[in-house]
Amino acid sequence: MTTLLFTHPVCLEHDTGFGHPECPARLTAVLNTLRTSPFAALEWREAPAATLEQLARIHPQDHIEHLLAQVPKQGQYALDGDTILSPRSGEAALHSAGAACAAVDAIIKREASNAFCATRPPGHHAEPKQAMGFCLFANAAIAAAHARAVHGLQRVAVIDFDVHHGNGTQAAFEHDPAYFYISTHQAHIYPGTGRSEECGVGNILNVPLLAGSGSADLRLVWERDIAPALREFQPQLILISAGFDAHYMDPLAELNFNEDDYTWLTQQILQVAAECCEGRVVSLLEGGYSIPALTSSVAAHVRALIEAPKAAQRSLIKNILQRQKARRAAGQG
Amino acid sequence: MYEFLQYQVRDAMTANPIAIGPDTKLREVEELFENHDFNGVPVVDGERRLLGILTKFDLLKAFTLDSHLLVPHYDEIMEKSAEAVMTRNPVSVTPQLPLSRLLQKLVEMRTKSLPVAEDGRLVGIVAREDVLKALRRATIKHEIPVHADEPQ
Repeated sequence: MTTLLFTHPVCLEHDTGFGHPECPARLTAVLNTLRTSPFAALEWREAPAATLEQLARIHPQDHIEHLLAQVPKQGQYALDGDTILSPRSGEAALHSAGAACAAVDAIIKREASNAFCATRPPGHHAEPKQAMGFCLFANAAIAAAHARAVHGLQRVAVIDFDVHHGNGTQAAFEHDPAYFYISTHQAHIYPGTGRSEECGVGNILNVPLLAGSGSADLRLVWERDIAPALREFQPQLILISAGFDAHYMDPLAELNFNEDDYTWLTQQILQVAAECCEGRVVSLLEGGYSIPALTSSVAAHVRALIEAPKAAQRSLIKNILQRQKARRAAGQG
Repeated sequence: MYEFLQYQVRDAMTANPIAIGPDTKLREVEELFENHDFNGVPVVDGERRLLGILTKFDLLKAFTLDSHLLVPHYDEIMEKSAEAVMTRNPVSVTPQLPLSRLLQKLVEMRTKSLPVAEDGRLVGIVAREDVLKALRRATIKHEIPVHADEPQ
């Protein structure tokens, strides 16, 4: 069992304009890295376009139609100060959401242990009725709803470690206890939501971090707040909103995560997945605006995804040995 | 404005700035402030390892009232060494820090400038004015290349 890599060439043609931080070069750099030999174990798949049915589980149909109608024939159209549409943005957004759904299908059918979707535009700021913050469709929420509707899952968790709060995913989930949304993000920056008091119907866990927070803070909140809550939820599938803008070199925020933190965090998530849901993890690219930091962080994340089955096997063997040892000790006592 | 996000501290800082040794008398520091438009000056050892920073604020602080004398003695205080009044272990930034992060830091710390250090050695100083200049430059397309020391 391997790790799947979903992407589509049209994701490189979502043109946000000169100098925009959410630029095609981000994805080009990520894909170039994932093509190198350390990632030879990845199985590449072309992302299909999401269907209207898939999108409509989260976004009202008239909103979808209106958004796609705003896609310009040429040049650019700004939905807001951050969010830009170019002629192929609609297609890119459809393939971005479609990648997430196809990855869910493949993982539930056990075609691979886990999957990474290297697509853009990202999705976690897109609310059901409002595209914003570089995001057009709510990819993670759409994939979670797809897992529920098509595969009958009862409990789906989304872990969002992008430096910005995923207001869109939260808005899609906040009334439905079948979903659990967990977000670490920098407090007091865009989009302004994600306070710890926002907890939906007990299914939202927001963990805002102060500017300057780094490795130690991440480990503290994971062990104290996130891991226990996630284990208690017993997810049948874990989706990751994998933004890498909490990296210490990112120009749009002030958290100080590094590559090792992303490896560690990915391993922790995989560990819970191994315990709760046979390791089923689908990770979706969100933000990350320093291209060198993004590339090395994605590499750390994907390496951990690839190594997950081996790590799970090791931990399984260790558990069996420990149990045998305990039994023998009990027998002797 | 997007271009500003690509700038690093090294694109805006003053490289190899004037620095003083720990034994420099405050009288000389005052002169330095008099002759240059500095708000503060880094204090380094013989190998340009950053020991501290001495600002006009530190200089003023040397004259505040204390329990030692009823009236501070100007000449006596001006004979003190930089080491006696400087801020030790100052916050410094690396040349690679995104300039947007430096801007946040200057605002949060309400400070006017920060020393730039690499492996503990002073390589530059970066001030409010440098960031303002970079903001202006970033919005005039292609006037000055980013990372001037790297091939384009």
